[in-house]
Amino acid sequence: MPEPIVIFDDVSYAYPGTEELALRGVSLEIQAGEYVAILGLNGAGKTTLGLCVNGVIPTMLGGELTGTVTVAGLNVIEYPVREMAKVVGMVFDNPEFQMSQMSVAEEVALGLENAGVPYEDMKRIIPETLELVGLSGYEERSPLGLSGGQQQRLAIAAVLAMKPNILIMDEPTSNLDPIGKQEVFDMAAKLNRERGMTVIVIEHEVEVMARYADRVIVLDKGRVIMNGTPDDIFTRVTELATLNLRVPEAARVATLLAEKDLWQGPVPIRTEPAITAVNELLGATHA
Amino acid sequence: MSMQMALPIAMIPGNSLIHRITPLPKMIWVVGYIVLAFSTTNIVILYSMALFAFLIAVISGVTRPLLKACVILVPIASSLLALQIIAPAVEKPWTSVGHIGALALYGNGVYYGFVLLGRIVASLIMALVVVMTTHPSDLFTTFAKLKIPYTFNFMLAMTLQLIPVFQREVGIIMSAQKSRGMKGRGFSAVLPSFVPVFVGAIERVQQLSISLESRGFGSAGIKTSYRQVKSRPSDWVVAIVGVVAIATLATMSIMRGTWNLSTVILFPHAFVFWLFVVAASVFAAVILVTVFYMFKR
Amino acid sequence: MPEPTTTTAPAIAQLDTSLAIEVTGASYVYPSGHVVALDGVDLRVERGEILGIIGQNGSGKTTLTKLFNGLLKPSAGRVIVNGVDTATKTVQQMAPHIGYVFQNPNHQLFARTVQAELEFGPRNIGVPAEEIAERVRNAVEFFGLQDVVDEHPYRVSFPVRKLVGIASIVTMQPSILIFDEPSTGQDHQTTHIINDLMRRLRDEGTTVVCVSHDMPLLADVVERVIVMKETRIIADASPREVFADQTLMARTNLQAPQSTQIALATVVPLGGPVALTPSELASDLERRLTAHVPSTKITK
Repeated sequence: MPEPIVIFDDVSYAYPGTEELALRGVSLEIQAGEYVAILGLNGAGKTTLGLCVNGVIPTMLGGELTGTVTVAGLNVIEYPVREMAKVVGMVFDNPEFQMSQMSVAEEVALGLENAGVPYEDMKRIIPETLELVGLSGYEERSPLGLSGGQQQRLAIAAVLAMKPNILIMDEPTSNLDPIGKQEVFDMAAKLNRERGMTVIVIEHEVEVMARYADRVIVLDKGRVIMNGTPDDIFTRVTELATLNLRVPEAARVATLLAEKDLWQGPVPIRTEPAITAVNELLGATHA
Repeated sequence: MSMQMALPIAMIPGNSLIHRITPLPKMIWVVGYIVLAFSTTNIVILYSMALFAFLIAVISGVTRPLLKACVILVPIASSLLALQIIAPAVEKPWTSVGHIGALALYGNGVYYGFVLLGRIVASLIMALVVVMTTHPSDLFTTFAKLKIPYTFNFMLAMTLQLIPVFQREVGIIMSAQKSRGMKGRGFSAVLPSFVPVFVGAIERVQQLSISLESRGFGSAGIKTSYRQVKSRPSDWVVAIVGVVAIATLATMSIMRGTWNLSTVILFPHAFVFWLFVVAASVFAAVILVTVFYMFKR
Repeated sequence: MPEPTTTTAPAIAQLDTSLAIEVTGASYVYPSGHVVALDGVDLRVERGEILGIIGQNGSGKTTLTKLFNGLLKPSAGRVIVNGVDTATKTVQQMAPHIGYVFQNPNHQLFARTVQAELEFGPRNIGVPAEEIAERVRNAVEFFGLQDVVDEHPYRVSFPVRKLVGIASIVTMQPSILIFDEPSTGQDHQTTHIINDLMRRLRDEGTTVVCVSHDMPLLADVVERVIVMKETRIIADASPREVFADQTLMARTNLQAPQSTQIALATVVPLGGPVALTPSELASDLERRLTAHVPSTKITK
């Protein structure tokens, strides 16, 4: 088995000027090419975890970090954020706050310019990257004139241009409408499937994560309290409820029925399997 | 939803002859215009410059936005001329051309008033035409070539970019306050909005700095530029024609001691009188409209 | 921090009308004159109704709600709120009638403490001091803000700030309350409080209008859904009817709650009801499954 691309080894962290730990003894491993969903209440440490992977914590924000974070074989505290950028790309919840350039092409170019990539290479990389996120033909448009979904895809393109192996998205669709949401998640799924990109998503919408993620990590008060496949995690309905976390509605329905001994077999978390299971159940009863 | 509010001065996309000229020759023209405007008091030259700049605007297809932006000249022109007629900025003695009530009107300052106005009008139109026909990024790339520091350049570009964003934010915040029944007008109404605007700005900057740092913004190494501004022979022609024409006119003016035509061009008394009436009325109207809108809000 | 004004509450002309909101042929064109944001919308909202508005960004949802409280005036048509024509009133004059919770609390909050924030609205509309104190106490309790009343609104976490934003409008006790995306970026815990709030407001007879992309939230609380697409209202029905209309959902690129989707592919073809929530679907299935169990037992 190859070395995991992200390794947290007993990581604890407190933001500068605070006593309280934002992460408490976090240990986890993420394999290259995995699609990982991070769940938890606001303030559980999800964003902090993401910022540790791209090295903004502690290199840029300071604070006290113990334990080690190893990303693609690099100990993050030893590399500046801009070096980590070649390995990890991170986008945030408000796409507009990530825009700084006059045109879409220049927004994508920014990282390349800073890395000193020659013009000839940029001329090739930028259209390629825009094509990847479905923004071909928008090169000369102003980023601020795009829709939310387009802006977020542009923010993703801007980090993808640096050719990272890992893409972290921190609530990437919380400011988007349903179309924008779909655009972003479809694109991330495509990157994961076709390019083997490791994707880490911080997200509240469990139905969406049940559909896309290979693995779910649940944080609570800075600790990893669950770590497993969506099928493992989302079926632990009562446990998640005590944590004030939602589960996919399909799982809720099956659990409610199971409490009355009316549901045998696995608890579904996605729409299609749930439909099949319910129809089988009804068919059996009617037969 | 895209809610881009157009700035009064922003690039108007197009593919005219003027649009295709690279920024450097255009910048030479703007600087040349300003130099010439302040080295001459010849109103024929000044207004010919303004007319020439306006013709360029027509060729570039930016006439309408230019005229819109030039609305700012209305209060400037009216107040400037009215003031020069009641209190000329030239040495006494002044010759009275008439009275309105107790107010004495003089003709001596009118020429000087037109000179001041001509300088503003000519330089402003030329500068606006250049801004409206040049992609801001090309402009900044040129600045960078002229060794203007990267960070300064970046901040300038960012600021330009953020003006419409902040306009929008302030609009939303004011709406939110009003929805809570906030009373008060003018400054006291705007004041509470500053807190959210500042907090919003700080959050934006924090987020942006993380986002930029993650894209290698702070790296010390050699930076390359995606935007390539390549000068063609035609750009050189434009630049050289500009330098020669402006240098010639400026030299001629300076040789003739600013080429003042105030003794040649004389304004009839009736013209001065009516000029004052019109300028003063326009200025008064501007003030009234402004006050009205302030209170209406 | 502005000095609170101490004017008395403006006399609200209570016209004899059962309608909270009446929109007739309302259009809105942005001042630039190019973008039509709303095109000939008709809408009647009864007092005490709880209404959801859905549609993609740019479909005109926010424009419509801004017409309700007079932030925008219709370019054509009329908007009557609590019997008052919004065209004749300022936003401030509409404030006692209609509260508007903005999507981003950062746009709304500016006072020095959470307490002051909650007092600001009612004081503006001339509520007496004792009454304000009472309302603030209730709001603090309902939203669980006991620990933060003396904090600066910007020093509390974002979800709590969102609740403060909502509470600051709730203390004005308007008879109509508009929420713009109340659950955006919120975790389940906060969404739950918002959910409870809407039910309570409904029970108290407040008219609630909720613009949201959060279908499970709407499925749970609203009684009527308006679907907007490209500046027009294209559907106006119960959430059950709207979510069951798969063509409509596909046309507007919206997704019904998962329970509804499952119900539509299972029990609905058998003549069952369109479930909106997991518990609705579960109880329908339970009824179906148990209805047959005794009979099979008997035949044995």
